[in-house]
This record gives sequence, structure tokens and C-alpha cells, in this order.
Amino acid sequence: MKRRVFFEMSLARRFLAENRAQSFLIIMGIAIGVAVMVFLSALIDGLQADLIQKTVGRSPHIVISNAENAAADAASDVNGNRTLLLDATQKTLRPIVDWRNVATALRADERIETVLPVVDGSGLIRRGQVSRAILLRGFDLEQANRIYDINNSIIAGNRSAPDGAVLIGKSLAEDLGIGAGDPIQLELPGRDPLIIMVDGVFDLGVAAINQRWLVMDQRRVAALLGTGDRISTFELQVYSVLDAELLAREWAARLPDLKVESWQESNASLLSALSSQSSSSYTIQFFVLLAVTLGVASVLAISAVQKSKEIGILKAIGIRTSSVSRVFMFQGLVLGSLGTLVGIGLGLAMSQAFVVFAQQSYNLLLKPVTTAVIITTTILAATLSAYLPARKVSRINPIEVIRNG
Amino acid sequence: MDNGLIQITDLVKDYGEGEARTRVLKGINLDFECGEFTALIGASGSGKSTLLNLIGALDRATAGKVVIDGTDLSDLNDDELALFRNRTLGFIFQFHFLLPQFTVLENVLIPYLIYAGQVTPAMEKRAMELLDRVGLSHRRDNRANAISGGEQQRVAVARALINQPRIILADEPTGNLDTANTENVFNLLREMNGQYCTSMIMVTHDRELAQRGDRVVEISDGLVISDVLKDSSSEG
Ligand SMILES: Nc1ncnc2c1ncn2[C@@H]1O[C@H](COP(=O)(O)OP(=O)(O)OP(=O)(O)O)[C@@H](O)[C@H]1O
Ligand SMILES: [Mg+2]
Repeated sequence: MKRRVFFEMSLARRFLAENRAQSFLIIMGIAIGVAVMVFLSALIDGLQADLIQKTVGRSPHIVISNAENAAADAASDVNGNRTLLLDATQKTLRPIVDWRNVATALRADERIETVLPVVDGSGLIRRGQVSRAILLRGFDLEQANRIYDINNSIIAGNRSAPDGAVLIGKSLAEDLGIGAGDPIQLELPGRDPLIIMVDGVFDLGVAAINQRWLVMDQRRVAALLGTGDRISTFELQVYSVLDAELLAREWAARLPDLKVESWQESNASLLSALSSQSSSSYTIQFFVLLAVTLGVASVLAISAVQKSKEIGILKAIGIRTSSVSRVFMFQGLVLGSLGTLVGIGLGLAMSQAFVVFAQQSYNLLLKPVTTAVIITTTILAATLSAYLPARKVSRINPIEVIRNG
Repeated sequence: MDNGLIQITDLVKDYGEGEARTRVLKGINLDFECGEFTALIGASGSGKSTLLNLIGALDRATAGKVVIDGTDLSDLNDDELALFRNRTLGFIFQFHFLLPQFTVLENVLIPYLIYAGQVTPAMEKRAMELLDRVGLSHRRDNRANAISGGEQQRVAVARALINQPRIILADEPTGNLDTANTENVFNLLREMNGQYCTSMIMVTHDRELAQRGDRVVEISDGLVISDVLKDSSSEG
């Protein structure tokens, strides 16, 4: 670095300091712009993270089935979020016969957190005059906890019966007017009706589940359905939720006979809503950035005119044109940096205030990457916006200044 | 001339384009030697400032050459001209033109700062000596616009000397000053000229002041009409 840069920087500093009020105003302008960008990003990222969490939190990220047609179906919960749900009542599932090998292979993949083999069947339960179509779900309750957190969702009765508990969805229980300890009559296609006791009622917070699910141990469901050692689907949860789609495609290639579907596929409309939300946020940020750029450019253009006498004299005594340009670029850099610094602080304060006062169900999320992008683009924009004024002022002809006093 | 510092040959300068084009310098031939104190006089509009700006590498000639210390100015690009101005020339303008954002001492150092970026203790000492010489060391930390006009002009003299230039070009340096300050600044320039062996070319309207130099060159309508070397011959 040429040492004359030091003088260029000190000129920039003196020029900014001389117009203190002007510098302060534009720094605040940049700061407000940056604060808006920070707050908006944090708000939208937080909202999106929350939506994704709601969508995939208590549901499988990937479902592997043996259906000709799509077996997994998305159902909406009370919030309108879509959840990857299996609705075997509407589709014909073919059982997965060699499921143990597949399970072993899946469990060997360290990106996969939970592998839950499920035996599904459909049927009716009846109590008195009332009957309801149900989805009979058989899986290992311990394993299933890791996806559905059933343990903490029991609202009546308990889940520990000697040969595996019989659990029923909350809405279903209400419709039929039953509670823990009550008997129900279960009718499965091609089987004689039988009476079973309900051990507990769960509320998983998803309407479709609460209305339809009757949960038992995997082996017991297999015995009731007479399917033998077969399962209907695998439900998986993965560590990295956003990579589920990639993982699903990978496993689809390894399991050509099975259908592998990720939560992203079943929530395409949610994802496209999220992405258009993101792009509208980017649009706003772009215009904020544009305003910052124009603000800095106009302030420096004015300053360039105000300082043309000084620049003329400096040029007469030998400052280079490129040095003059840099003096103004440095001013842009300093304004941009200070504005950004203040703006980040302001944005964090705004976010904090929002969390405290607005009391939303979701938290704001300020990603380091986003912050870094905001910082660099703003500083870059402020510096580059100095380019035109810098170019103009650097071309001042010293003779004009000298002649005209 | 072998020991000449500045050689000006057939120098022509036009201003304007097309119809409006006017020839301001119509073929100037002049040589200046080291350590000479030259007064440049002439009527208003005769082309004195134009000539000074060409010698000062601030402007480019339409035709002819200015050679300073062996360097033909027309061979230099803009950056090289800037460097040349900074290292070889010192300027004193009619309107003192200090930078109000800097202190008196800093203003004296600016020609050095442009070149070197940062001040060394030795340079600061030199700047203080020069300020002392112009009688303003007690004003060193004042803002440059917080001192009187005459004081500003004396600071400008100190600034012109900081890089020890071969040539100082002064365009009506006393034009805005009262008699006392004019005397003051002129004596200073004359002393500096003797002490640092710097060549001085000073434009002035003050004929009496002009007579106190080594040489008086008069310009009229873009041509040298008289060139008087004191205590010796005169040439046309
Ligand atoms: N940029 C320019 N464009 C057109 N004409 C110019 C320009 N600069 C100077 N002139 C003309 O050139 C002539 C000489 O100008 P110059 O400034 O050299 O005069 P001067 O001898 O210094 O006069 P003064 O004593 O008033 O300062 C004048 O007629 C002036 O109007
Ligand atoms: Mg003039």
C-alpha cells in the first residue's frame, strides 16, 4: 500500500468532520436502512424457521412406501401447515417384505436420525350408534416418540399397558365420547369385529391425526391385520431438515422399487410461499440499498462541490487525480461503515423490542450469513456510490479554481 | 543556455474552440536561471497568468515547449505532471488558498503529505522552522481560516517552500494585501530566494515592487516586450 493513502484517509476524515451535521444525517440514514434490513431478515427468517419447524417438527421428514401411487399425503393441521401424513385409507399400499434389510441399511446412514417401521391399516371403530373411519397405525412407541413425542402428548390415561398400549386421537375420542379405560369395537376389512380397551388419548396438535389415528404396537397391528412380518412404510427423521429432499433422492436411487418422498415434495406449496416471501423481502432490501446508495451519492456530490476549491488547490500542488478519487471513495467507505455499524445495533434493538412487545409465537432469527451479507453489501454500495462524485471532483481543473479565487 | 533552469521556446497558447478561438500567448521565448528573482509585469489580460500556469505545469501548451531542469513538460502525463509540480515547484496564489480543514502547521506540510503520506519528525521540524521564518510559529495550531489574510499569505509562502522546490511561482502574491503586508511578504520571498537559492517568478502589477527583483519581464498582448536584467544589460 502506498503511504500517500494515509494522507488520503486523513483528508477524507477532515472533509467528513467539517460537515458534521451532513455526515451525521447520512450515517443515520444508512443506519435506518440497515436496521430495516436486519429487522426484516430476522423477522422473515424467524417466521420461516418457525413454519418449517411446525411443518416438520412432529412429522416424518421422509416417508418410504411401496405404493404404486403416492402413499404419503399431506394433511393440514389447525394452523394450515401441511404435514407429511400417511393416509392408507385412500391408497392401496403394497407391503414391504424385506423391510428388515432396508431398515438396517437406513439405520447405517448417519444422516438419518430416526427410522420408524410402520404397519398401517384402515378400518372403523364403533361405539353405540356412532362410527368413525380410522387409520390403524402400528409402530414401536419408543421409536415413534422420537418423531411424534407421543409420551408428552398423552392427555388422558397412560401409554404403558402389558402388551403395548392402545392410544386414540383426541378428536376421535371426543366424537365417540370415550376416554381412557373405555372399550371400543374395532372393525377391520375381512375380519370379525373385536372389542379392545383404550389405554390413553393423545393430542398431537394436528387435526388430521387427532381425528383418525388409532395407535398400537407394530406386532399387534400386524397380528390384527394378518399381514405377517411385513410393514407398510418407513418414516424417517433426518438431522438436517433442509437436506431431506436430497437424501430422499439418494435413497430413491438405492431403493428403486420403493417410493421415497420428502417433506419438501409434500409441501411444495408451502415452500413456494416461503420462497416468494423471501423474494419480496429481497426486493425490499434491494430498494433500501438503492436508497442508501443514492443518499451517499448525493451527499458526496454536494460535498464535492463544496470542496472543489480545496481539491483545486491540492491538485495545483501536486495531488494526483486518482488520489482525489480515493479521498471521496474513503468518505463513502467511512459513511457506509459507520452507518452499517449503527444500523446493525439499531436493527438488533428493533428485533429485541419486537420480541418483547409484539409477543409473537415465533422468535426472530438473525443468521450470521445474512448479517455478513447486509454488512458487506451496504458498505460496498456506499463506497461504490461515491464513485461518480469522486470521478467528477477528481477532474477539477486547478486553473479554474486559481483564476476564479 | 547551459546553466539555464527553465527554457521556454516559441510558446503558444490558444483558448477556446472554433470561431471563439483566441491566441493568448503568441510565441514566447524566455530562459530563467537558477536563483533568479524575476518579476513578470504587463497589462491585465496580457497573458501573465497563462504563462505562469504553463511554466507551473498546470496547463498544456498549444505549441512550443517548456523545458524545466531538462524535462520537457509536454513529455509528461497528468500523474507525472502532478508529481513534477509537487517535487519541483512551489506555488503562491493571489488568494492564499489554505485548506481550512487543517491547522496552520498542517497546511505548511501538505505538499509533503501529498507526496509521502505521513509526516516525519524531521519534516515537522522543517515546517516549524519555516513557520518561524514567516513569523507564525505561535499560530501553528490555529485553523487556517482563523488567521488574518496577510498571515495566510505568509503560511502559503512557507507551504511553497516545504518541499525545497527549484522554482517558486507566485501570481500576484501581494495583490490582496495592504502595504505593510505586501512589504512583509515580498521581503520574505526575496530572503527565501537568497537563502534557499530558489528561482522565483512573481507576477505583479506593482511596478515599484517589480523593480526590486533581479529581472523584470514585461508582457503585452501575448508577447515579451521587454526583459530587463538589473545591474547589467537588457535584452528584447
Ligand atoms: N480558459 C480561458 N478561456 C478563454 N480565454 C481565457 C481563458 N483563460 C484566460 N483567457 C484569456 O486569456 C487572456 C490572458 O489571460 P491571463 O489570465 O493570462 O491574463 P493576465 O495577464 O494574468 O491578466 P491579469 O493581470 O488580469 O491577471 C485574457 O484575455 C483572458 O480573458
Ligand atoms: Mg493573472
